[in-house]
Amino acid sequence: MIATIDEINVHSRPAVLNRSGSLAPVDTAPAQRSDHALMLAVRDGELDALGELFERHHGPLFGFLVKLTGHRPAAEDIAQTVFQRMLKYRHTYRDDGSLTAWMYHLARRCAADYFRKANAAPYATDPSDLHYHADEAPHAAERAATRDDHALLHVALARLDHGDREVLLLSRFQELSFAEVAGILECSVGAAKVRAHRALRELRNSYFQLQKQSLS
Amino acid sequence: MNCSDARDIFPVLLDRRTAANAQLEARTHLAGCPDCQREFSALSQTLAALDTMPTSSPSPRLRQNFYAMLEEEKHAAVSRGGATAAREPRPARVALWRWFLSPVAGATLLLFGFLAGARYAPAPAVAAPATDPATQRELAALRTKVDTMSQLVGYSFLQQQTQRPANDRLRGVLTSARLENPNQQILNYLIGALALDPSTNVRLCAVEALYPHADQEIVRAGVLASLPREQSPLVQLAMIDFLAAARDHEAAPALEKISQTETADGSVRAAARRALVQL
Repeated sequence: MIATIDEINVHSRPAVLNRSGSLAPVDTAPAQRSDHALMLAVRDGELDALGELFERHHGPLFGFLVKLTGHRPAAEDIAQTVFQRMLKYRHTYRDDGSLTAWMYHLARRCAADYFRKANAAPYATDPSDLHYHADEAPHAAERAATRDDHALLHVALARLDHGDREVLLLSRFQELSFAEVAGILECSVGAAKVRAHRALRELRNSYFQLQKQSLS
Repeated sequence: MNCSDARDIFPVLLDRRTAANAQLEARTHLAGCPDCQREFSALSQTLAALDTMPTSSPSPRLRQNFYAMLEEEKHAAVSRGGATAAREPRPARVALWRWFLSPVAGATLLLFGFLAGARYAPAPAVAAPATDPATQRELAALRTKVDTMSQLVGYSFLQQQTQRPANDRLRGVLTSARLENPNQQILNYLIGALALDPSTNVRLCAVEALYPHADQEIVRAGVLASLPREQSPLVQLAMIDFLAAARDHEAAPALEKISQTETADGSVRAAARRALVQL
């Protein structure tokens, strides 16, 4: 079947959810300071401003880290470390910096530290660290239909090379431009684009292969 | 546009932010190419599945820990600030006192040091000026004595060469080699060691020890006389190098003979030919 041009639908990027799980309002209050302004305030000694940044960014950051590590407690620990380092190294934040890019740069370093330690010593889960979480699936019927797909996608993501997973998640989920992704990954914009597309193809191959296996 | 070109545009088409900028040509190709449509559809589906993955929320522990950490840092900053504020007036006071106290303290320390030095330090030895002629004569005499002693040591080693083991004979030659101005007796013994010592190492060392004195006729003659009797190719090579370096034209017949001797070592003959060219 040949599709028409209009039928070629490009999926939009995911909306960033706020703390309560609803979509963030498009028009924010005019008095609300930008991320950059808040981080500059933190750098200048107004530490409370970091609380506002935490509320804005900890959700997406945690989501990124869960997908990157595939391990919720580890993702929480890394997110905590990221905010710790933002506070510790606040004086290194530059006037012309981008907060998101800087934060994910730190997150990437923290995740690398985590993987290095995890490879060096086996990770033991303390039962006291486990918490109950609300089931975030939208509907039981929908969940039944999509659960398998999500599980397969999780496996496919986990099978990706760490670098591929990282570039795919950064470029797709975090509302970062490719220039920022390239800055985080310390490579050229072209290289970041090529790596992201290659990672997507790898994910596609793995995901479709798993789907076929599950059907057979 | 072919399939490969169109697929290069896929990343642009798949990104909402850049999809509008994609070439119309790529879209047209995609609309008419089933293979590219399948590829594009698979990638698009994968992205759709990725986008609809449930978003995880962290446990309340993350927020608790974060605010605890923030509070701790704020307290630390306040205490640092308080400490800094408490310390701030002090520099002003210190700066004020410094103008008065520093010169007084410096002068007191200087005076104390001078008095202590005058009272307890031993009487300074009168340093002899280097230009004093008497001292220079004394130093020259001492140098001569040391040199003589060294020569005596080397001489005694060499004198007993036949009775002593090769190790000691070698040490004797080395001691002689270190002398700056060996006398004729030492040179004679070095030449003797080169000619007669049964140890190859000793003879090699003797050649080395004689190098600095290649300008003396007797030394060149001694090496040249030893050359035809020498059996070790190593020592022969060292001797030939010596004669070549000394530009001893009297060595030419001996070198010519060695270069034509069939039984001589190949490298020795080659060295002899090279030395002849140099001479």
